[in-house]
Amino acid sequence: MTKIVVLVKEVPDAAVQKQVDSSTGRLDRSGEKTLNPFDTHAIEAALQLKESGALDVDEVVAVTVGPSSAVKALHKAVSLGADRSIHLTDDALVGSDVVGTGYALAELIKRESPDLVLAGQQSDDGQSYAVGAAVAEYLGWPGLTQVIKLDVDGQTLTCERQAEYGYDTVKVTLPAVISVGDAINEPRYPSLKAIMGAKKKPLESLSLGDAEIDASKVGEAGRKAVWTGSQEPPAKAAGELIEDEDTAETVEKIVAWLDDRKLI
Amino acid sequence: MATRQRRLSESPIVPVTDERRELRDAVAQLVGRYGRTYFQDVVKRGEQPDALWADLGAAGFLGAHVSEPYGGGGGFADTAVVIEECAAQGCPIQYLVISPTICSTILDHHASDAIKEEWLHGMADGSKRMCFGITEPDAGTNTHDLSTTATPHPDGGWRINGGKYWTTGATVADALIVVARDADIGPSGKPTLSLFIVEKDAPGLTIQPLDSALTTAEKSFTVFYDDVPVKPGNLIGEQGKGLQQLFAGLNPERIAAASLANGMALFALEKASQYAKDRTVWTQPIGAHQGVAHPLAKAYIDVQLARLMTMRAAELFDAGSPAAGEAANMAKLAAADACLQALDQAMQTHGGNGLSLEVGIADLYFLARMLKVAPVSREMVLNHIAQHSLGLPKSY
Repeated sequence: MTKIVVLVKEVPDAAVQKQVDSSTGRLDRSGEKTLNPFDTHAIEAALQLKESGALDVDEVVAVTVGPSSAVKALHKAVSLGADRSIHLTDDALVGSDVVGTGYALAELIKRESPDLVLAGQQSDDGQSYAVGAAVAEYLGWPGLTQVIKLDVDGQTLTCERQAEYGYDTVKVTLPAVISVGDAINEPRYPSLKAIMGAKKKPLESLSLGDAEIDASKVGEAGRKAVWTGSQEPPAKAAGELIEDEDTAETVEKIVAWLDDRKLI
Repeated sequence: MATRQRRLSESPIVPVTDERRELRDAVAQLVGRYGRTYFQDVVKRGEQPDALWADLGAAGFLGAHVSEPYGGGGGFADTAVVIEECAAQGCPIQYLVISPTICSTILDHHASDAIKEEWLHGMADGSKRMCFGITEPDAGTNTHDLSTTATPHPDGGWRINGGKYWTTGATVADALIVVARDADIGPSGKPTLSLFIVEKDAPGLTIQPLDSALTTAEKSFTVFYDDVPVKPGNLIGEQGKGLQQLFAGLNPERIAAASLANGMALFALEKASQYAKDRTVWTQPIGAHQGVAHPLAKAYIDVQLARLMTMRAAELFDAGSPAAGEAANMAKLAAADACLQALDQAMQTHGGNGLSLEVGIADLYFLARMLKVAPVSREMVLNHIAQHSLGLPKSY
């Protein structure tokens, strides 16, 4: 029997304009929130492993660290097919950086001792792409990122990783932490029954004390990343417009422009 | 960070629960994979949106409001969200107003357990469809004058004789619910109506297409009943109680029709506002001109008002409130008017492009226009409101 933990996060809805609060250096997360869309690919991957029988999965558990509102993201995760969910919430977690979040998640995962941990490739707000790797490090398990294909053979997973230069094929033995790329699948939509039943599935809410997590390693107390300032991205220089009056002349101008920049 | 534009249908002004928001998102995701072009293509080929229908059924969205054992468990407000969001995604499925709305609701409220067991599961999962025959050439709005008659047969059951027109979707339904006059005058001394299920291949049934300007997947038909046999088990509810039982389906029908109109209006306004932002003539996007912006803003306000009344009517219906009828009537009238206004202004905003099928607004027009007269005409709504809300003398 296999247990899969899927890491999920509540993020501001993609339709909300996002801003950094300069007084705290943290993202302003007010407004409409939703389940991180990248996580739905991890949930889908877990469900496909379960439904195809590739792994003998008896449970998919959605796990999140976040404020009280994050239960909505967990409801969404179970409406998509997770069997139950765990919510770590504590005022002392506010301001956690990637390493702190990775530590807290790893501690939650140890309580569950799953065979596989799946995560989305990034969060839609913090966008570090690194939480999965931090979790793997704390667990001492192999960690893979940007996996877009998973083949199972017993306890061995053959994973295709999307890299800048092409694809890596990597074999790992379970247990492992895998962040999936959004090209891995097309997430499903929840059914009416799943939507209506989402609040009835077990949801365990834990404080740091409940989960025996060291408060000095998370939140403001434990953070190693320090925000120093922000600035607007530099404005792009205006492009050059070439009006096409005489085509032969226009072509010459374009060729000269490219030639100047040693592009041809 | 990923950004997306908020859909007009997501407005927090229209009452939402967590579940209804999730439902709307799920419907948008499901129907969005098909989109306007798919729907137009189906209509053009004279087919039904079967693939989309099957997906909606598999997800449980065709029976949200029916009782839980038959695949539902929500309320009609949930079905209203499904219908509206389908239309807002460019797929106004008229059949949603018929099979799940009128037929499933009447069966769920009044039919025998055997009928429910036979039909409701399939109607909720999309594998079965029913259509509804009420309108007759000589009895439109005045249901009391229906002449299609059900006569008890000596061997049991009934024989139906008569004719209906504007029976929508008759050829693709597995059965029809027929409203018929009882041959025998009941104990009240007045003519009574009963509701029957007629199977699509029943002998004596003749279905003829009724050509119309509607660009919908569902065609309408004239249906002749020539001694059509109905088995004893296919009477819905009680004999002679047809009129009262109809109301279980007619208020949802109005709410559903309003939702269909509201969804189309949102689709058109979404298209038009995008176009008004993108289309630049001389130096500014045309949406910067108040002549373009204000009519769109006004159309949006009217659509939002109609949506509020529609959702309110659905909530009242779900709560079993007697005020549901008044609200459903007002919602239907407001939604049809707002939709026509929105479509007209959306076309105007697009200039000549407003008539192109690629934009996909002009071909919604006749369905929207139909909703001004069906399922109940604007005039009958006004009669009802004048009489029942304002206490004015009865006009008919």
